[in-house]
Amino acid sequence: MLRMFFSRPLPGVAVALAMLAGPGCYVGVDGDDGSSSISAGPTAGLTQGDSGSSGSAGSDSAGSDSAGSDTAGDDPPPALEPAAASLRLLLHRHYRNAIRDLLGDGPAAVVAPPKDTPINGFDAVGSAQLALSDASVEIYETSARAAAAAAMGDMARIEAYLGCAPTGPDDAACHGKLVATFGRLAWRRPLTDAEVARYVAVAQQAALDSGDFFTGVENVIAALLQSPYFLYMVEVGAADPEDSSRRYLTGHEMATRLAFFLTDSTPAPWLLDAADDGLLDDADGIREVATLLLEEPAAKDALDNYFSEVLRLRELDTLAKDPAVWPQWSPGLAQAMRTETLLLLQDIIWQRDGDFRDYLDAPYTFANNQVGPLYGLTPPGGGEWGDGFLKTPLPEASKRGGILGQGALMSVLAHISSTSPTLRGKFIREALLCESIPAPPGNVSTVIPPAGEAAPTMRERLEQHLTDPGCAACHMAMDPIGFGLENYDGIGIFRTMENGAVIDTVSEVNGATFDGARELGGVLKQQRAVSVCVIRNLFRHGAGHIETSGELPTLIDLEETFEARGFSLKALLVDLVANPAFRMVGTPE
Amino acid sequence: MKRFTLNRRTMLRGMLGGAAVALALPPLEAMFNSNGTAYANGDELPRRLVTWFFGNGVALENPFDPNNNNLLWTPQGQGEGYTLSPQLAPLANVKEYCSIVSNLAILAKHPEVRGHHTGVSGFFSGFPYIKLDPMGANYSSKFGGPSIDQVAAGYIGDQTYLPSVQIRVSKRIVASEGPTLNYLSHKGPDQPLQPLHNPQDLFAKLFGGFVPQDDPTKPLRLNALDAVSEDVKRLQMRVGTNDRQRLDAHLASIAQIQKQIEAIAPECVPPAMPGETNADQDGKEPLDSVNKVMADLLVLAFHCDITRVASFQYTGSVGYTVFHMLGQSQGHHDISHDANANDLHDAATVKTVEAFAYLLEQLKASPEGDGNLLDNSCLLLGSDTASGLRHSDYNQPCIVAGGGGGALRHPGIHHDAGGANSSDVLLACLKTVAPDAATVGGGPGESTTPLGAIMA
Repeated sequence: MLRMFFSRPLPGVAVALAMLAGPGCYVGVDGDDGSSSISAGPTAGLTQGDSGSSGSAGSDSAGSDSAGSDTAGDDPPPALEPAAASLRLLLHRHYRNAIRDLLGDGPAAVVAPPKDTPINGFDAVGSAQLALSDASVEIYETSARAAAAAAMGDMARIEAYLGCAPTGPDDAACHGKLVATFGRLAWRRPLTDAEVARYVAVAQQAALDSGDFFTGVENVIAALLQSPYFLYMVEVGAADPEDSSRRYLTGHEMATRLAFFLTDSTPAPWLLDAADDGLLDDADGIREVATLLLEEPAAKDALDNYFSEVLRLRELDTLAKDPAVWPQWSPGLAQAMRTETLLLLQDIIWQRDGDFRDYLDAPYTFANNQVGPLYGLTPPGGGEWGDGFLKTPLPEASKRGGILGQGALMSVLAHISSTSPTLRGKFIREALLCESIPAPPGNVSTVIPPAGEAAPTMRERLEQHLTDPGCAACHMAMDPIGFGLENYDGIGIFRTMENGAVIDTVSEVNGATFDGARELGGVLKQQRAVSVCVIRNLFRHGAGHIETSGELPTLIDLEETFEARGFSLKALLVDLVANPAFRMVGTPE
Repeated sequence: MKRFTLNRRTMLRGMLGGAAVALALPPLEAMFNSNGTAYANGDELPRRLVTWFFGNGVALENPFDPNNNNLLWTPQGQGEGYTLSPQLAPLANVKEYCSIVSNLAILAKHPEVRGHHTGVSGFFSGFPYIKLDPMGANYSSKFGGPSIDQVAAGYIGDQTYLPSVQIRVSKRIVASEGPTLNYLSHKGPDQPLQPLHNPQDLFAKLFGGFVPQDDPTKPLRLNALDAVSEDVKRLQMRVGTNDRQRLDAHLASIAQIQKQIEAIAPECVPPAMPGETNADQDGKEPLDSVNKVMADLLVLAFHCDITRVASFQYTGSVGYTVFHMLGQSQGHHDISHDANANDLHDAATVKTVEAFAYLLEQLKASPEGDGNLLDNSCLLLGSDTASGLRHSDYNQPCIVAGGGGGALRHPGIHHDAGGANSSDVLLACLKTVAPDAATVGGGPGESTTPLGAIMA
């Protein structure tokens, strides 16, 4: 069956590229590290996805073989060249949740793992590239010891790990049982005999020194939690017995990747059992497991955390606003905005299991006594707003719809005292379209004309700026998108006037005209690059690296499956983790 | 008969020899030679190196004249007789310890000059930043090599309990453009060092980690770390080159932590735990209080010889600190790019210089031998751009302060570097703690020629 893509073509990419490659844009310099300029990004990716120069019709035939098949994915597509995996330090939330699942809430409350360091917008990318410091190792030692000490307050759990009654401090066999059972859960794989012996020696020294078997238990738990096998996701893979040029993540590596990706925590015992039994060695087994994981409450929390990261909602925690401009700004309002955005996403993903792209133009939101009045909304059932959030229709006149008209993004993507069409446009290019925007250059004037009679509105001020060809080449890709959102001020309040002038909010994105958030979302959701970008972002977080040119075509093909399943995000997650791009790794280099 | 000499380093030697002898610190008068310029046994007094950073450059003389790049920062006159500019006026009490260097050029440039990224990596490491721009993703960068404080720690870090410490005051940091803008200290491109922003955490790190010699947990902790090291070494055999290097760093850090567990606490009277935690109040950062407490703790750390190297990030690169104590409500990065806010930017710079001056004054007030801690320190102040408005990496603000243990020119001067490689300043600073150092930086930023004008 030949499916036509003309209904959702990629004109915007070409438009953006034309602008970015224009004269005066400083992006043309190739780095001495071999990385290419930004304009190569979308071109390279989508050209490959479209099977070369044959245009969008080509992508149909390229992708149709695998689309829609539930068992697709056991045979890697010829184009797939998986990147070599790196050691991936557990993220802050992974570490804390793993301690919770291994030892309980008490121990989880006393750990303080290092902060994450994002690279390219993803914590997971930084965690796969950076090395530990003295301070981090010290923190991990302190946290492990504190967690182990707290765990000794829950002897029922400790005894369950032991499965034996110690005969005395010198009962090495009983220590060995604990190392094997607890170690397997903490390291997410069975320990070798040599590893068990190494850690039994740690337990024995402590037990014999103190004369207390359980001092040995406490010390060995602390030691196992400092091991690189706990701290890093080790994803070395193993050669496919049928074709040694291919490497797949082992069952235990896959269980680990699945659990941290889908539930932000360590694999549960049943999942490790499944890995032991070889159930994660093929796509069907992986689908089954992923479906089960998505039914756990932790899956919802994990996606909340993921969206808080990629949509930058967590910046609301410390976001400052100019009290002279927005006296109503408060930490409570900021948190309500974050909740509003997450509730919309949860509604689409979990309650409705609907077309995920609705998050861009849904004509309703979730409001309470913080955000409801900010938007001028009245409670749907009448009466007064309360603390609780109510699903509320959005009046068309506000042009609101989807996340782009919500307070959270409008506040984060703004300056402290004003809006920023540039930041809004940059976010949409980067986070929603997966395009690269180059960094601002050095040694250029960054003066923006002040608000005045000639240019009363932010749009007019920036449009003056855009007459500078050195700036325009790149700002043309960003600012116009933001111009169409100028009805929402720097904390998302609707306005039609700025400095006494009417704000013109009719603008263009990728050749399509729009006015306001809902129309912008409507335009974006029709663009294939947007649904491909949903996949790319999930992959970046789940696999710990930005997809390479050897992986991108496979991810682009997956978009067909995404569409075939009505753009269900839950279904996409299952398809993604079963995909060869997610399951395979290159040979360590 | 072997003569017992009082020596600060006995603290560590005693540890290594297993004979736990805790010594009185700060040093006793008996420890110094007759003129107080060295220890009695001839060992030189310890020397310290600090990098001190603020983001977004300084205000322009005339922001509306595109042909005028003069900074309000720049002093009048050259040499010793220079006059502090109003922006630098807070340095009045320590002026003789300050050399102001103008017209440095950052030669450590990636061909794609990138506002702020070029300035901070180039200035503080002498290496061009490394571009991290995979297709279709946000741009990011990391330092091209170790920052100068970490180069110094490589030379002298093993002589103290902590090789170095990293301090942050304002929390309004940009983390989304990679480690370059996020952190000031980098042990290497892949090893940024996270600073502490909570004074209580710094207190705990400096004074709270010492384990009593008879603590029964000590051997057990060391033993656990030995087992972990064995795991790391075995894991190294299965991974690629990059990961092996990351694990080398992991191993080195385990060894360092083992050394810290074994260290003997100096009998230096520890200060009280500070009450300040750097928590916002009504959305406002307690900048003044945090700066003061952090500086005080750092001075004590030097006094007790707990570390000799520090980095101090006062505000962030592209940071959005609000100088609310000046009546301001806008973010620092925003005002640095607003010609109409030049006065606000100017006021923020004066405030920043006050914060730096406080640290210098406290060091000066802390006696050591015949002089003071400032005599035996080198502090390098820098930013990430000259002025935010022009995004220029030429003539970024630069102060080299302290006596450098006699290695730096005193009294200080205003020096027009005339476009010299900014890495020449790094090498001059490095030589104050490592006289044998011959080179810093790399690629176009490499220097083998320390800036002689600011050296004694």
